[in-house]
Amino acid sequence: MRRFFLVLANDIRRHLRSPWTLLIFIAIPLFMTALIGIIFAPRSEGNELPSIPVLVVDNDKGLGSKLLVGAFDADQLKKMFQVTLTDQADGDKRMAKGKASAMVVIPKGFTLDLLEAKPVTLLVVKNPAEQFLPDVVEEFMKTIAVMLSGAVQAFAEEVKGLRAMLNLKLDSFPWERLAPEFGKAQKKVVAAAKFLDPLLIRLKTEETRAAGARPPVTAYSIFAVILPGMAIMFLLFIVQTVMRDLLSDREDGKLRRMLTTPLRPLELIGARIAGGWIMGLLVLAVMVAVGTLVFRVAWGPFGYFLLLAAVAAFWTAAFFALFHALVRSRNQAGALGAPIILAFSLFGGSMMNPEVMPKAFKAVGIVTPNRWFIDGAALVREGRFPVLSLVVLFASGLVLLALAVPALRRRASV
Amino acid sequence: MLEIKNLTKSYGDVVALDRFSLDLKKGEVLGLLGPNGAGKTTLISILAGTVRDFTGTVTFEGRSLFADRSMKNRLGVVPQDMAFYDDLNAMDNLLFWGGLYDVPRADLKRRAAELLEVVELSDRAKEPVKNFSGGMKRRLNTAIGLLHKPDLLLLDEPTVGIDVQAKVSILDIIRSVGAAGTAVIFTTHQLAEVEGTCSRIAIMDHGRILAQGTLDALIRIVGEKDIVEFTGEFAAAAFSEALQDLAGDGLELLSVADGLASLAVADTGRIPKVMDRLFQRKLAVTDMKIKTPSLETVFLKLTGRSLRD
Repeated sequence: MRRFFLVLANDIRRHLRSPWTLLIFIAIPLFMTALIGIIFAPRSEGNELPSIPVLVVDNDKGLGSKLLVGAFDADQLKKMFQVTLTDQADGDKRMAKGKASAMVVIPKGFTLDLLEAKPVTLLVVKNPAEQFLPDVVEEFMKTIAVMLSGAVQAFAEEVKGLRAMLNLKLDSFPWERLAPEFGKAQKKVVAAAKFLDPLLIRLKTEETRAAGARPPVTAYSIFAVILPGMAIMFLLFIVQTVMRDLLSDREDGKLRRMLTTPLRPLELIGARIAGGWIMGLLVLAVMVAVGTLVFRVAWGPFGYFLLLAAVAAFWTAAFFALFHALVRSRNQAGALGAPIILAFSLFGGSMMNPEVMPKAFKAVGIVTPNRWFIDGAALVREGRFPVLSLVVLFASGLVLLALAVPALRRRASV
Repeated sequence: MLEIKNLTKSYGDVVALDRFSLDLKKGEVLGLLGPNGAGKTTLISILAGTVRDFTGTVTFEGRSLFADRSMKNRLGVVPQDMAFYDDLNAMDNLLFWGGLYDVPRADLKRRAAELLEVVELSDRAKEPVKNFSGGMKRRLNTAIGLLHKPDLLLLDEPTVGIDVQAKVSILDIIRSVGAAGTAVIFTTHQLAEVEGTCSRIAIMDHGRILAQGTLDALIRIVGEKDIVEFTGEFAAAAFSEALQDLAGDGLELLSVADGLASLAVADTGRIPKVMDRLFQRKLAVTDMKIKTPSLETVFLKLTGRSLRD
């Protein structure tokens, strides 16, 4: 065992003395995580939409159009929309310059047509340079259109009377006839109020923590989702680099020299695999530390995550022990290693969210360590013990190890 | 001390060692000479324990050299490859490689420091080996094989590709190791190296020893005759015919070609008579060289080819 620890200590010392490769493999995933997180995370912690600039061209200037414009000014909507009243020419000019997300054009005669229950058309001009905000305006206008149409139909009789009176002059206006119309309308409103207040259906919003549900997305939780995928991908790269000693020592004669000493092949193989495991764990520890301190990632219970990281590093070391027992040379290892790692990462969910992956990708993903590590990390984040990930990674790691050791022993007999 | 009997090793149809036998005494330095493919490296590899599946026996002080792992503590190997870690410094390399043997840590540090003095690297002990010259690396490679004070030292072409100064240094080390009682086998292509370093020389080819002994004993194999080489503008047949009646009686025509011929002569006093005859026959000789018997001539006579072939 003394020689086992001597080789192990020597390997770790060598890699730590020339740390550039390790540092690069640690820095890249952290940088990528930061980049992806910054691009895709919400801009503020309250998840509020930015205020949407909307131009309104009121060609009607009647009661209906004023109600419509006023709708934008309601309490909650005031924050959402930034409304500017303008004329058609100025509106077109501003839209051409991309100064607003959308322009709503209210046609002339809108109020009268509405009161006569004739179909009217509101025009919504959307800014093609923006992705979501014009759609919000469009949806809002559809809702307003439905509400107004409903109101006009519900109060059709009263509206009809009102329409007839609108053409009369002020001095000949039959004020006395208004009272019955208002009386009817009042009855309908009171009747409706019985149903509307309190509303039979109320909407209550709350955040769920049920099984399978994800916590709300914030900038920091996006890092927590991305970083495990990046970490396992670069863990694979690092362990492959570290364990390439199995080949380089054979190619440049150091293995032959070691075998002339009392060192047993099994001690050497064990030390190399343990070295890969320890280096992998060390690198994961650095990523976790940076993730916690810089990206404020909450990993979940530390013990669970440590166990998951240890098992993932073990799987990786066992895999590359077998890989290096099967390939012929350093060049071949370099040529085959990177595509295998990238394939693991693609199908395993390091490169895209597994939830949006095609079914075929997901199916292939179950044979990758990335998938099990990412799934396990997600469970740990929710405070749950990742038993399935641990069992799968550990058991398959043992199988890989059982295949790798005899293969490496054969290769050690030069 | 070391006894090798009927060692045979084949790679497919190629016989690398063919019933190879050899004895080596304590403190003896054996130079193993042979052209490429003669079986030298295979022999060293078998003795070092890195090649298996052979027949024959190898005993060291009466025990099989491969009896158990403890025997490896008695064996030092200096491979042809620069087998150490370039990214470590010289001292750390010595401590690591020495640590693989059963040497107490304190002794190992002292021994490493001593050896760095011997190989003249003590002032570069803390420098990464990747910064060393080829000669310095060779010296470090040799030092690693000596850390645990082996009783049997195997060196496979330890002076390949280095400058004269480093070569002299390594040969000095080999001589002093032998003088200290270690049995040494070293292979080389350089005849001059074995002439000045080895107490015994073995010439091998096709997996067998063709001849072995001290330098003087080997030279006696080709006799005491000097070799005379003629170059000029002459036809081979005319040259042979001119000296036909002078052959025998201490003069032997070794080889003749158009423009180049060599004779073995027991007495250089006969050379003027040879020149006279060639002059009478109008054979134009432009140059003549007299060579005394050497290991090279022995090697040529035994293997039929130059050492570099």
